[in-house]
Order: sequence, then C-alpha cells, then structure tokens
Amino acid sequence: MRSNSLTPSGRFSEKNILREKVLFAGLFVLAVAVILLVFNLLTHGNFLEWMNIKIILANMVYPTFMAWGMCFLLACGYSDMSWGAIVVLASFGTGVFGNLYGFGAALAAGVAIGTALVFLNFCIFAFTKIPSWIASLSLAMIYEAVAVFLYVGKSTGALVSAAMEKELRIFGLLPWSLIVLAAAFIIIYYVYNRTIIGFNVRAIGGNAAVARALGVNATSTLLWIGLICGLLIGAASFLQESYSGITTVKTGLSSIFLIFQPLAIALLADILQKKINIIIAVPVCAFLLYAAFNLLTLLHVPSGTLQEALLCLFIIIFAILGQRGAKGVVK
Amino acid sequence: MSAADNILEIRGLCKSFGSTRANINIDFTLKRGEIKGLIGENGSGKSTLLSQIAGLYRSDAGEMTLNGKPYSPSSPLDANRAKIAMVMQELGVVEKLPVGINVYLGRLEQFSSRGAVNMKSLNGAVSRLFSEWNLPPMPPNAVVSGMMIEQRKIIELARALSVEPDILLLDEITQSLSLNNRNSLYALIRRLKDMGRSVIVITHDIDEMLAISDSITVLRDGEVVGDVKASEVTADEIRYMMVGRNISGDYYRADTAPDYAEEVVLTAEGLTVEGEIEDVSFQLHRGEILGFVGLSDSGIHSVGKAVFGLAKAGKGRVALGSGGEVKNTRDAIAGSMGYVPKDRDNEALMIHASIFHNATLPSLKEFRGPAGFLSPARLRKLSGDIVKKLSVKCTGIQQAMDALSGGNKQKVNLGRWLAKDLKVLVLDCPTRGVDVGVKGYIYELMKQAKAQGIAMILISDELTEALGMADRLIVMKDGRIVRTILRGEDFTERSIIEVMI
Amino acid sequence: MKKGVKLQTFVPFIAFAVIFLFFTVASKGKMVSSYNLKMLIDQSMVIIIVGCGALFVVAQGGIDLSVGVNLALSGVVGMWAATLTGLPFLLLPAALAVGAIVGLFNGVVVSKLKVPSFILTIAMLIGVRGMVHLIQTKIGAQYLPASLRILNEPYIKIPLFVAIVALMAFIFEFTRVGRFSQAMGENETVARYAGVPVARMRILAFVLSGLMAGAASIFSILTIGGTSQTMGSFTEMKVAMAIFLGGVLVTGGTSARIYKMLLGSFSITIIVNGLAIIGYPETQASESVQGVLLLLILLVAMAAASRDRRRGAPPCEEPSQTQEASSPPGR
Repeated sequence: MRSNSLTPSGRFSEKNILREKVLFAGLFVLAVAVILLVFNLLTHGNFLEWMNIKIILANMVYPTFMAWGMCFLLACGYSDMSWGAIVVLASFGTGVFGNLYGFGAALAAGVAIGTALVFLNFCIFAFTKIPSWIASLSLAMIYEAVAVFLYVGKSTGALVSAAMEKELRIFGLLPWSLIVLAAAFIIIYYVYNRTIIGFNVRAIGGNAAVARALGVNATSTLLWIGLICGLLIGAASFLQESYSGITTVKTGLSSIFLIFQPLAIALLADILQKKINIIIAVPVCAFLLYAAFNLLTLLHVPSGTLQEALLCLFIIIFAILGQRGAKGVVK
Repeated sequence: MSAADNILEIRGLCKSFGSTRANINIDFTLKRGEIKGLIGENGSGKSTLLSQIAGLYRSDAGEMTLNGKPYSPSSPLDANRAKIAMVMQELGVVEKLPVGINVYLGRLEQFSSRGAVNMKSLNGAVSRLFSEWNLPPMPPNAVVSGMMIEQRKIIELARALSVEPDILLLDEITQSLSLNNRNSLYALIRRLKDMGRSVIVITHDIDEMLAISDSITVLRDGEVVGDVKASEVTADEIRYMMVGRNISGDYYRADTAPDYAEEVVLTAEGLTVEGEIEDVSFQLHRGEILGFVGLSDSGIHSVGKAVFGLAKAGKGRVALGSGGEVKNTRDAIAGSMGYVPKDRDNEALMIHASIFHNATLPSLKEFRGPAGFLSPARLRKLSGDIVKKLSVKCTGIQQAMDALSGGNKQKVNLGRWLAKDLKVLVLDCPTRGVDVGVKGYIYELMKQAKAQGIAMILISDELTEALGMADRLIVMKDGRIVRTILRGEDFTERSIIEVMI
Repeated sequence: MKKGVKLQTFVPFIAFAVIFLFFTVASKGKMVSSYNLKMLIDQSMVIIIVGCGALFVVAQGGIDLSVGVNLALSGVVGMWAATLTGLPFLLLPAALAVGAIVGLFNGVVVSKLKVPSFILTIAMLIGVRGMVHLIQTKIGAQYLPASLRILNEPYIKIPLFVAIVALMAFIFEFTRVGRFSQAMGENETVARYAGVPVARMRILAFVLSGLMAGAASIFSILTIGGTSQTMGSFTEMKVAMAIFLGGVLVTGGTSARIYKMLLGSFSITIIVNGLAIIGYPETQASESVQGVLLLLILLVAMAAASRDRRRGAPPCEEPSQTQEASSPPGR
C-alpha cells in the first residue's frame, strides 16, 4: 500500500480518501440519529419505542431487496415497471406451492418464478430494442392478467388472494428476516464491488462507449443484470409472502404501486452514492423512508391518500436532485 | 532497409463514413523502435487511421501486415492481444469505478477466479505498473469521479501500457498534460524506443512532434501527402504540406478586392464564452463575406454559435443593424439571420424526417396565416421550389432525408435558409462532406447571395476556401482574434498560417 | 424505401379494419348493433379527447402517464367546486383549470428541472390518485347536477366533441405548435438551432395534455353521471396504446399524426368493447390482450423504423468521425 502521492492536489491519496469517508460516515450517522430523535419528539416518544422500530424493520425487508435490484437497473439506464406484477405472481407461487409441498417449495417457487420473469423481461429489452419503460408496462399488463386468470374464483368471479400457512412464514418474522437481509447484503455487496460481473455492470452503466471499446460485452452483461435482478425480485416475493402471508390480485396497472417505495429508496441511494457505496446506502435509505412513513402514520396522516401524495413528492424531489448537472436532452 | 525491420505495414487502406471518405488508399510503414508522428488538419483522417490499427473500426479495403503476418483486428481487445494499444482522443474513463478497475476493464479475468476479482493482486499490479513507467502514482482504489482531465488521461495511458504494447498509439494526449507530465511522457516514449518498441503520436503541436519523433507522416483530406524524416524537415514545410491544397478549377471568387456596402448589419462586441472564446468583436457589412479561420481549439465554431444566440449566457452583445439585439435564437431568426451548423446530421437536419419537414422548418413563422394557420399547399410549394431551385436529387419532397447523399442534404440545408428573406447567414463549414461538384455549386450560391446583399459569416476549416470566398478574414487563436486581413491586402496562405499557428 | 413508407401509412388502417371485422364476426354482429355503436362512440370519446392533448407530448418524444389521474382530479375538484358554490356550470372552467395546472406543473418539472417525463408522470400517477381519494372521501359521492344533464344530449355532446377534436387537430396539424413538437421529437438540437423555443413548447405540450384531460373529465362525468374513486384509472395506458396502435413511434417526431391517434383510439375501444361482448369483461382477458398487443405494435414499429434507417442511412460509426472534427476547443 502506498500512502504518498505525487498527484498535483494530493486529494486522492488513500489516507485522505479514508479520512473523508470516515468523516462522512460519522456525520451521516449523526444526521440519522438527529432525524430519528426529532421524529421521536414529534410523536411524544412513540416513535422510538422498540415495538415501533420493529414494525419499521419488518416493513423494510422486501422493499430493500427490490431497491437493490433497482440499483442494478438504474446503473444500466433501464426501467422495469413490471416488477410489481412479477412480485404478485411470484408471491402467489410461493403461497400455493408452499401450502402444497412445504417450505422448500415455497422458497423455490418464489425465487424461480421471479427470476424467470425478470430474466424474460431483460431478454425482451436486450433483443427487441423496444424502450424498456413501455415494453415493461405492456409486460406488467400481461403479468397482471395472468395473475387474474389463475387466481380469480371461477365460480364467484371475485378476486381472491393466496394465503400462506403460518408455519411457513418464518422468514417474515423479525429476527429471521433481518438475518436474511444481512446475508443478502453481504452477497450483493460482494457481487457489486468484487466481481467481474459487478464491475462490468457498473462500466456499462457508467460509460457504455468506453466499456464496449474495452471489450465488455453489453448484451451478455445486460442478461447478467437480468439474472441478478431476477434473483432479488424472486427473493423479495418470497419475503413479501412470508411477511404479509397474503397476496391480492392487482389489476389496471395498480401493481406499479408496489415499486414506488423501492424506486424512491433507489433514487435516494443513487444521490448518496458519491459518498456511500450504493449497496450500503439502500438499506439505510429504506429504513429512513419507512421511518418517515411510519412517522406520518403515527401523526395520523391518512395512508393511501396523503401519504401517497407525499411519496410522489419524494420521488420527484429525488429525481430532480439526481438529475442535477445532467447534460443533454431530457424528454 | 529490409522488410524485417518493419513491424507494421499498411497498403491501400480505405475507410468511408457514409459519403465522407475519411481514408483513401493509405500506405504507411512503421519500423521497429520507431517513433512516428502523424499530422494533419482536423478531419484529415489521422484518428480514423489509428482507430483502424487499434481495432476500433474495420477497414473498407486494403491490408495491414503485423510482423509479416496479415493483421485485421476485430476489436480493440483483439488488437491488445496482438500487442497494439491506443490512448484515444475522445474515449475517456468510466466514472464511479476505481482507478485499478479502469486500467484493466475488459481484461479482469487475469486477476480473477470464478468471476471474483482479487482486488489485492489487481491493485498490486496497478501500483507496479504506475511505478514501473514512472507515472504519477494514484491509489488504485480511488474512484475516478471528480478527477481532473490530466489524471484521467494518465489512467488511460496506464491502461494502454498494461498491455505491454509493441506498438503504442497516442492520439492527442499531450494537450491534456501539464509540462512536467509531458516531459515524463517524452521520457516514457524514448524508453519504449530503447526497448525496441514503436510509437505513433498524433499531436497538433508541430514543434513537439519534430522534437520527439523519428519520422512524420502528413495526411490531408484522407490521403498521405508526405512521409519525411523529422531531422530533415522544418515546421513550416510540414505546415504547408498540411494546409496547402491544389486550387483546382475556378469555383472561388475571381475578384481580388473587398466588395461590400458601408451599411453595418451586425455588430459583435466583446463576445465571451467561458473556455471557448474571449472578447471577440467585429462588424459585418451588407453583402460582405467575413471569413473566420483558425486551428481546432481557436474557437471559430463557437463564434458562429454565439452570434446566432446559441451560446449559454456569456459576456458581450450581438447587435443587429436594424437596432435589435440577439439574445437567443428567436431574436436571431426574427432579425433575418440564418445558421448552417457544421454537424449537418446532428445539428441541422432531422435526418429521419422528410425533405418537406426539413425544408419548411425555419420558414414556419413567415408562413403562418390567420390564427396561426400554416397552409400545407404553400408549404409544399416552398419545399418544392427549394428542391427545384437547387436541383436536389430526390424522388419528391416526401422522401426521407437520410436517403439523400451528403451533397443533396446540404443543398436542402442551405436552400431552406436562402429561401427566406435573409440579411445575415452564418455558415459553419458549409462544404464539409460534400463532393466537388456540389462544393462548386455552394460557392456559386454564396456569390449569388452576396450579390443580393446578404452578409455572410464563413467559418471554415479549409484555408483555401476562406481565402477564395471572403472579403475579410479574421484569424483566431486560443479563443481570441489575432488578426484581421482584407481581401487583396496580405491575402495568402503563408501570411495566415503564420498567425494561425 | 418508398414502398416501406407507404406500408407504414396503411398499417393503422389495416389494423383497424382487421380488428373491426374480427369482433363484428366474433360477436355475431352484436358489436354493430345501434345500441353498441352508441356505446362505442361514448367510450372512445374520452380516449380521443385525452389523446388529442397527449399526442403533443408524445410527438416531442416524451410521455404523459398522468392523464388518467389528472382526469380524475379535474373531475373531482370540478364537481367539488360546483357543489360548494352551488353553481353547476362552474364544473367546466374548474375542471379545465385543474387539468391545465397539473399539466403546467408536469411541463415545468420536465423542461426546467430535467426530470424525465416518464419518471415524473408515473410518480404523479400515484401521488395525484392519493389526492383524488382524499378529496373524494371528503366530499362523498357526487352526481351530475340536473341542470348539466342537457350537455349529455347527443345534439350538444357530439358537436362539442367534434369541435374540440377539430380545434386540437388544427393546432397539431396546421400550426407551428404541432410542427415544432414534431421537430423536437425528431431531434431537439436541430429544433433549437432552427429557432424552436423548446422549453416553452415542452411546457405548452404538457399544458395542452392536462387541459384535454380536464375536458375529458367533463365528458366522463356526463357519461357516468358522477365521479368515483376509480374514475380515469387505466386511461393513460389506453391513450398510450391508442397512439402507438395508430402507428406513432415511441420516439414521436413526424410519425405523430392526429389521424393515427383517432384510428388507434377506435381500435382500442373496439378491442375492449368487443372482448366484453364475446364474454371477457374488462379486467380479465382484455388487459392481457392489450399488453400483448402493445408489445407487438412496438415490435413492428421498431422493426419498421430500423429497417428504414438501414437504408441509405449513414453507418453508426459516423458520430465518432464528426466528434474528431468538432471536438470542443480548449479542453
């Protein structure tokens, strides 16, 4: 390891980088602590009760998985609006197969369905060259309709939901879901920061022209992203079903609502990534976002109405911040 | 000299981009341990030639021989395997990735097992590489975002050196280096030479090129016009090889004196665009062709944009003869100005749309009737007239622009402005990428426009063209006006090149 | 080349004819019964009016996915204003104003703050819907005031509809607003260099889009007889599909034409209506059919566009050549 530097400014020596990072991390932790304390004051001490923190933690697990997937997606400049519909389908798979064949089948079904569908999406993006946002909207419509076909009560015509038996839902419960989150964090951090795939993905996202000129295969990298995102979405579906134990059919593109919170988390993490590794930033941002919505609920802000309006506002603000300094034509 | 001394031989290499012929029958030889300079004006085809050697472009025709064996790289990676590496002028590095990854991107396998990168051995290799070649050290895991251009260039250089190249291609790298790093680069090049390796250098700095290279190949309009030993040639001789053209035919103006009215139609005062031009002032008269010439970083093209209200707010003002001021493009167009940008396919024309749409776009304002009504019949007549008047070769006004040849595209591009009642027309390289016939025709159009009293700003990369057409020439260097010359005064290539360089 | 262009012009007509014939036969003629034809016209009215505005945004290469919720918000607020003041006719200006204001917000955020229209409007999709819920719960179910029912009479409604469409068609096809919007979709730099006020045009397009959503909300209230929570849901996708089904490219430009939007609107209405007649109600099969259809349309459009591009177009390598010559000075 070298610590001396002959570069003109010396700003990029390892020592300085480390010092800057530690300083920022310290400030960031401080800021988060202050925010939480303020939240606590606003709710007269209800916010920082252990029960409430547990609710927030349990809430944030599966959206964090989706947000990690979204980081990979944003890194390569694509958007996929069908993940909500995929989560619905894969959760159904988890519930139905789990009830039939037990825990292993629940996990396998969720992950397999999620992975297969996300991967299919990426194949469509990569080979048809249809802009991903509109292609994924049509795919979302198809997936929603498939869920309706499979799970609408044939006799009653009413929408039904797939419920999973309680003993299968262990990974929806608190210590376990956090352990899963921690394990996944280590794996994803490693993939993103230590593997060829991770670097290729970031290279394609950072500067596709350079990456291609240096021999990074854009198409195969894209398919790898599809696989990684697929596994994350599959896992998110399994965790979703484990956590809530129930999935309801979504129609008329209302499945898109499922991806808004992950999208907000990923956009916020993207803004922070200059200072914090994005894989670390995601769970932190997820916690903050869910804490904020928890606060709103404690403050009796009606959910489903004003909270959604605020979520929309968050996304727009994060998108504006993320676009700052961006050059070129924006349509 | 035996053929075994030649590491790279190129015969009859050709490369075209659409209708533009970038390389025409290039013959080129590189000896083992030779430092070769490659020089020419912008668009003379130097970078295209290097890009073919480096595997970035496939050649249209011709053959390359490396170490006596046929060589046709399919990709830069392929070229790397053949021990050829290039530092490209425009490529750059990937933001958000660490230095070490940037050096070995695309070749990370050598530090990996089963897809996992061993960061320790990668960073070790990068550190060794930097110290071995005496490059200013950088921590290998520092992220590139926020680094200066110079540091980025050094990373690119390290990337090329990591290939252990037998042939190193450097495309305009010195201009982004500071003096001390420039000197270490020269030392590095000499060291490669001592190791029996070869280097091809592109630089605009002729003196630098004479100092560092063994021999120099001069390109002009895509062709090799000279191959000389650096010790046997002077900077001036190189300049003439670069710029001098055979003035064939008589498509330029025949008169040798300036000829324009007293009336000032446009005044620029202290135009300044951060990092591009500084304090540019001039007056443009009715019926005048005012030429702007200068090297690639002289800012002549920015003058065109600034005059037309396209530059982001800078200092200075552009006033029209009618009294108005140009603050944005709308002011310019309202003041009867027109602008033909240099990059025809990306800035001037909607290439996927029809001739009709392209030809009528700048005239829509004049054609609006009551309630803003645009009569399709009148617009069709307008585009039909343009096509007819300039004899554009097409199947009709509904034909898509991208089906036309470069020359015909340019005819539509010019014709749509000339169809308006213009006072000022800004022409940025109007004859770029068109064949000789259309070129002459465009000069003819300019003469007609001049006779009608239209004032023109002619920004040109071709000195002969500017000399042939302009009443006055403004020579620019480093964003500033260095000299203004009147037609008939000191109107020769020699006098202009002297101030230009 | 010429043949290809002609084919592309005919595709929307052919698609319309095929769809029309298919459902006429499949429904055993029920679809062309006078009752159903009236239904068809009623159903397509809303899509066409919204489409008239959204087409400007699409022509510029953007997308407005907030038209559905904007319609709902305009309707709900309009009714609210009408009830609150006791002036039924206030519904009209209030609905139009709300629609235009939401459009103005979209336009300013996209053109000045550089947020991609897709991200912004999809965020609005959830946020504005939340506000609709909020207002709707607050004011309760609202019914069309008796004094306004006269507007629903065909002899007033139809001419009103025709007048709106004719006005928008005039603006799009025969004024600078439409032509400038097309130019921006083709190449925004070119448009700017030719004197198009791009920021103003973008804002105007979103305002028109919002205004038409407001106008459509009035028609929607007239047809349904009041407002509801689900008003306007899925409209944005129906409109987008109508536009793309008519043969407009996702990139907009000169491929955007009013007649294509009209044909596409009729086609999509016939599909939804026809599926319902032959026994598949809206939520079930029609969503998947629409999804598949949208994907197919995009695929065909992309293929046609890239084929056109291959012919006589300069190779993709050319930009790097121009880059060499036009590299910014003084780097």
